[in-house]
Amino acid sequence: METESGGNERRLVREAQAGSGAAMARLYSLHWRSAYRAAYLVVHDAAAAEDVAQDAFLAAVAALDRFDRRRPFGPWLHRIVVNRALDWARREALRRRVDGADSVFEPLPPPEEIGGEMIAALKELPAEQRAVVVLRYLLEYTPGEIAEMLELPRGTVNSRLRRGLDRLRAAAETERLAGDRR
Amino acid sequence: MTSDKLNRALRDVAIPEPPEAQERGRQMVAAAFKERRSDDSEFRGAMAPTISEGRSRRPLPRLALGLSLAALLAVLLLSPAGAAVRNWVDDTFTASPPRPEPMLAKVPGGGRLLVQTGEGPVVVQPDGSKRLLGDYEGASWSPHGLFVAAVKGRNLSALEPDGTRRWSITAAQRVANPRWSPSGERIAYRSGESLRIVAGDGSGDHLVNPEIAPVVPAWSPFGTPELAYVNAEGQLRIASSEKSASRSGAPPDMAGAVAGSRVRKIDWGAGGRSILEVSPGSLHLQGMRLNKLEGRSEFRRRTSLPIAPGATVVDAALAPQQPLVAASVTFWKKHGTYSEAVIYRPGKQPRTLLSVPGSLGQVEWSPDGRRLLVAWPGANQWLFLSLGRGRGRAIADISKAIAPSGRPTSFPLLAGWCCRR
Repeated sequence: METESGGNERRLVREAQAGSGAAMARLYSLHWRSAYRAAYLVVHDAAAAEDVAQDAFLAAVAALDRFDRRRPFGPWLHRIVVNRALDWARREALRRRVDGADSVFEPLPPPEEIGGEMIAALKELPAEQRAVVVLRYLLEYTPGEIAEMLELPRGTVNSRLRRGLDRLRAAAETERLAGDRR
Repeated sequence: MTSDKLNRALRDVAIPEPPEAQERGRQMVAAAFKERRSDDSEFRGAMAPTISEGRSRRPLPRLALGLSLAALLAVLLLSPAGAAVRNWVDDTFTASPPRPEPMLAKVPGGGRLLVQTGEGPVVVQPDGSKRLLGDYEGASWSPHGLFVAAVKGRNLSALEPDGTRRWSITAAQRVANPRWSPSGERIAYRSGESLRIVAGDGSGDHLVNPEIAPVVPAWSPFGTPELAYVNAEGQLRIASSEKSASRSGAPPDMAGAVAGSRVRKIDWGAGGRSILEVSPGSLHLQGMRLNKLEGRSEFRRRTSLPIAPGATVVDAALAPQQPLVAASVTFWKKHGTYSEAVIYRPGKQPRTLLSVPGSLGQVEWSPDGRRLLVAWPGANQWLFLSLGRGRGRAIADISKAIAPSGRPTSFPLLAGWCCRR
């Protein structure tokens, strides 16, 4: 994952707001991977994750003039990504309930891969729990920041994290035991 | 399990990523940024690795582009056709559906409808009378409505509108989605996963691409022998209809562009100036222009149309001559599903024409682009929305009204509204 210091990123945002395509291109390069990965880990569908990440960047471009450049760009983008991914996951769940359609989820990586069991377990969590786990443990936001991003009470964030972690711990234990057997 | 371990697992686990996803996104963002700034050269340059950063903005080209767009819009709205559109979009559409009429006594606005029913394709005449063409599985109009291309199993047939068969060919695999070229000289169709073209008299059948996406192809309205389709890799391609695929299966493509993910419909309309790409989560307009010297189409700017948060696009269509897009979108909410018919106009915010409970379905422009037919399967109705002349019209119990036997079957599918005179 590419990184950029906070000062440099603020400069890029400032230049993009002033019309620099180069700065926008750099911001895109810096954040595409994390945006796509976060979207995928919430929706577990490659095409949908691409749509979500694309839409988030397009929304960011559309709202760039209103963006307070004293704030970091990443959290602003991640907030859009995760909220859109949640919208998609809820819509998909409803669609499947209404249509009785099969899952359109992509096949997950096989369990032999690093973290495969855990990712499978993540998929089993409700979308709302997945979102807070991804924000906390992939993007490394604090519960307070997550509460602000998702407009949730902090207690709700904490309880979703706790429940999600319990499930993931069980998956990690399964993976460890499987590894021992191998 | 520590936070570090979980962080590593989420960060490092292999996840599937569609090929070229980052590049597609890069181009989309480039186009959006270009649109925002009307200053494409800088961003495009920045996207190429060899161009240095830091060029300043150039206000003059933006001003010129803005004036051009304003002039174009003025021309569009001041022309007779544009005036009709202006009247239409300025008149307030009813926000709720009109009172349904019990039967389709005539086709509002005239023209003939081709409708796929459970018993086969049916032609609905302007006076509302119907004729079943046979037990075909799909059909579409020839450009002037003189013939219908119909498919059944591995057979593609050309029929007269009374159902008389003129010719028929048998393909190697199941046939679907026949589309007659605007000149009437060719029919494109899918056979299995391949895209093929046959002459309008049934001769000269040839392969264009051995594997394409399950998206109905669209002919160029410019009158050039060109066909737009989506290939198996999800790219929008323009093929010459006068050439065949090579022996190795390479298609006779003349141009290609990135398409959105999960495109399920393309529509080449607006007088040829745009190809609409319809996906469940997005609508994109691929700008097109005719290179008159070389007699072929070229890709121009690609723009995305805004979709309301939480909406899923069910169907969308480009008006035949005007740069207008009509779409039906559905919202699945906790308190129930509802749908909207939305119209997109150049340079303006999208406008909701109609909001109904349940799901809307297909949208179809009338041949003159002055009316919209919106299917409402949940209410078993068709909604005809007219150009600023009061309320639209709704036809009730449409599955029974259209069924040749008069017995209600499945909700019919619109296969075409013909023809402009």
